[in-house]
Amino acid sequence: MQRLAPFLLLFALFVGAASAHAQEYNPETAYSTFRKVCGVCHATDFSMPPRSKDQWTQTIQKMQGLGAKGSPDEFALIIEYLMRREGSVKGGGRGVQAGSADKHLVDFAAAERGRKVWAAECINCHGTQARGGPQGANLVRSEMVLHDRYGSEIIPYLKKGHPLQSGHPISSLTGENLSDVVHFIHEQVYDTLRGSPIFHQQDLLTGDAKAGAAFFNGAGGCTACHSVTGDLAKIGAKYDVPALELRIVSPRNARGPNRPRVTITVTAAGAPPVTGYPAAFDDFTVALRDAQGVYHSWARTPDVKVVKNDPFAAHDALLDKYTDKDMHDLLAYLVTLK
Amino acid sequence: MTTRRFAFILALAAPLFGQVGLDPAKLLEQPTDTWPTYHGDYSGRRFSTLKQINSSNVRTMTLAWMYHASGNPGSIKATPLEINGILYFAAPDHVWAVDARNGREIWTFKWTSKGGTHIGNRGVAVFHDWLYVETPDCHLVSLNIKDGSQRWAVPICDLDQFYYGSLAPTVVHDVLITGVSGDDLDRPGYVSGYNLETGAMKWRFYTVPQKKGDPGSETWPNEEMMKHGGGMTWQPPTYDPALNLLYITTGNPQPVIAHKNREGANLFTACVVALNPDTGKMQWYFQASPHDTHDWDATQVPVLFDADWEGQPRKMLALAARNGYFFVLDRATGKNLLSTPYVKVNWAKGVDKNGSPIPDPAKMPQLDGSLVSPNQGGATNWPPPTFSPQTGLFYVNASRAYSVYYVFDPDANPMGWGGIDEGGATLETMIEAIDYRTGKIRWVHPWQTGSRAGLMSTAGNLLFAGDGSNNVIALDATTGAILWHAGLGSSVSNGPISYELDGEQYVVVGAGETLWAFVMRSK
Repeated sequence: MQRLAPFLLLFALFVGAASAHAQEYNPETAYSTFRKVCGVCHATDFSMPPRSKDQWTQTIQKMQGLGAKGSPDEFALIIEYLMRREGSVKGGGRGVQAGSADKHLVDFAAAERGRKVWAAECINCHGTQARGGPQGANLVRSEMVLHDRYGSEIIPYLKKGHPLQSGHPISSLTGENLSDVVHFIHEQVYDTLRGSPIFHQQDLLTGDAKAGAAFFNGAGGCTACHSVTGDLAKIGAKYDVPALELRIVSPRNARGPNRPRVTITVTAAGAPPVTGYPAAFDDFTVALRDAQGVYHSWARTPDVKVVKNDPFAAHDALLDKYTDKDMHDLLAYLVTLK
Repeated sequence: MTTRRFAFILALAAPLFGQVGLDPAKLLEQPTDTWPTYHGDYSGRRFSTLKQINSSNVRTMTLAWMYHASGNPGSIKATPLEINGILYFAAPDHVWAVDARNGREIWTFKWTSKGGTHIGNRGVAVFHDWLYVETPDCHLVSLNIKDGSQRWAVPICDLDQFYYGSLAPTVVHDVLITGVSGDDLDRPGYVSGYNLETGAMKWRFYTVPQKKGDPGSETWPNEEMMKHGGGMTWQPPTYDPALNLLYITTGNPQPVIAHKNREGANLFTACVVALNPDTGKMQWYFQASPHDTHDWDATQVPVLFDADWEGQPRKMLALAARNGYFFVLDRATGKNLLSTPYVKVNWAKGVDKNGSPIPDPAKMPQLDGSLVSPNQGGATNWPPPTFSPQTGLFYVNASRAYSVYYVFDPDANPMGWGGIDEGGATLETMIEAIDYRTGKIRWVHPWQTGSRAGLMSTAGNLLFAGDGSNNVIALDATTGAILWHAGLGSSVSNGPISYELDGEQYVVVGAGETLWAFVMRSK
């Protein structure tokens, strides 16, 4: 039983999670939410590349920064929808939204095998990333490669007698070897495109932690709201370095149940003030949901006073003040809080 | 006079018998009963001379009709054309003809796509009885405007090289002018002129030099980089018939963010370029962002107007660029008259003797990040601004935002994007009314949430706009005071137009997948 219990627990968790998911995820609701929120700017009947949950989350956060509007639940549903949809459309291969619908889809396992052939027979002339060099063409920019589908252009070309770095004839490579190399080459093209899954931040820890502490405690004014022993205790252990930098410069984009949120307080003539999360706020109307979830709305007239309570206002103000050095120093300091 | 020009004039003079098509003479008029091009006329001003709807009565404008576009096309970013009582507009792979009086669908055209980026379509061109539209999968398609039947389709770019089509074509004389989109991989941008009848290419102008010794090649390190240097042409051009100059704006250089292998100004990326529309030959250029590293292509609308400059009448071109600068040029010569930021920017160290901003190397993308304003979305973007000759003001939907630009690809010879901007925040979004003579902001209307709505000004002292809260709004063009609004369920997603039919003035805007028409009823 002692050995069985963890399995039962896992099983229960799995079933529980699966059934909860099945109840929560309705493809029609997900699609209509996707269309409602994303369709404001994007056509919604085309295929997109497979991406991880983290990558889609980053994309969604970026879109929110550009003005995408929806509730946290809606954005969570859209991320789920995009992950499911891409899994089915691309079959796990690597590709991109741009380009032909019948583009070469990369088989990861074949590309990995191809990488070994590449290292043995191609890399000296065409380079690690197939970008070419004095001895070999840039294959990422090669029109033959871009027009190729599963070796349709590349393999006949190679078979005409393309030299190999081992000195062996091209016929020494099997059909599978050639096909694998073709997958590897296409992978290099896709890894060059915008949104490539291999792209990520480099070393961001170039700042001076001491100067960062001084900025935190002084010119930055951070201590007005934050404490390194309170809300920011162990912040350096909570996020990876790139995420922490983005939390510093754009905390407004953060998600999660306990995040600070903008509220508005509306005071109509002769009525007590009402505070809540904004549901609409423009030149004509203001609407909010109060702490009990009750919806209120008002026409914007001189008699209706609106105050925006923005917990991120101080962060926004810093954007006009930060030097890049301040930003790097602050990151170097907060990373030490572990 | 060339034979071609003579033929064009003959075409203008030809009487029209029972045609549903566009009388080409309309292309040279200010838009009234017709909105015959993407911008309403060749100038890009988006100024309607109609004033039946004006700042004293706009509050009584009423809904005429709404049309929900069939086929789940995504947001309508196209500016519709209005010709003989029919609206023609597009979305990626879709074209519609809709009755401008009642919003009834007359025909639809659906293109079977072979792929391409489906981010948007700005609209169509019409000449006589033929409509022209670009598709995301790199085709130029000609339709019969009577029923939407396809006449021909010709390839204008290579989908495998990650190009795609998105802009509204433009007809000048007997040439159909198109541009191309697509900066996913390092390819050259170009503008092409096509035969209106057959779709055969007449000329092509590459926006980056294709070999050493070509104009601009001195601003690139080598032939390999210039040939692949980007400069896409995804904004419809404007045109001056008197000077016979076509004004195109060009996109960002490639590789975009990781830029260290393309030292130099990288001409003719991020430029305004004046071309002869009959031959595609360049007359002059002005670079808005030398050595752009922030994806701030200069593909905003080059707006043409004639007005006083320091007491003398002058033919001018004004551009509110994505990089945050407002430029005024002499459009006959390309001489810079004014360069000044219209939002606060932190990436330039002033302007050079030609009026081009000088990029600050410290604010180019960095491995450890650089905090830059504007962000990649820009101080403005593709949505059209407007210029009112009545107020002398240039109106633009502007945004002030920061983001952190990172280089992801540390290679000495990066390709493609090699980086991106992340995070940051939008601090302000607003309409700015800019005095073209000084670049000073005459008035600002701030939004709680901004949108990518286009603008239109009218002789009725009105400015039509949209906020980020689904409202279409009419403002007093002189003061910026809000005079009228209506909630549309989605934010305005294209440039508004106006036309007169049966003695009544209409205003039409797209919001999401719906066109909305408003009218001033005469009885």
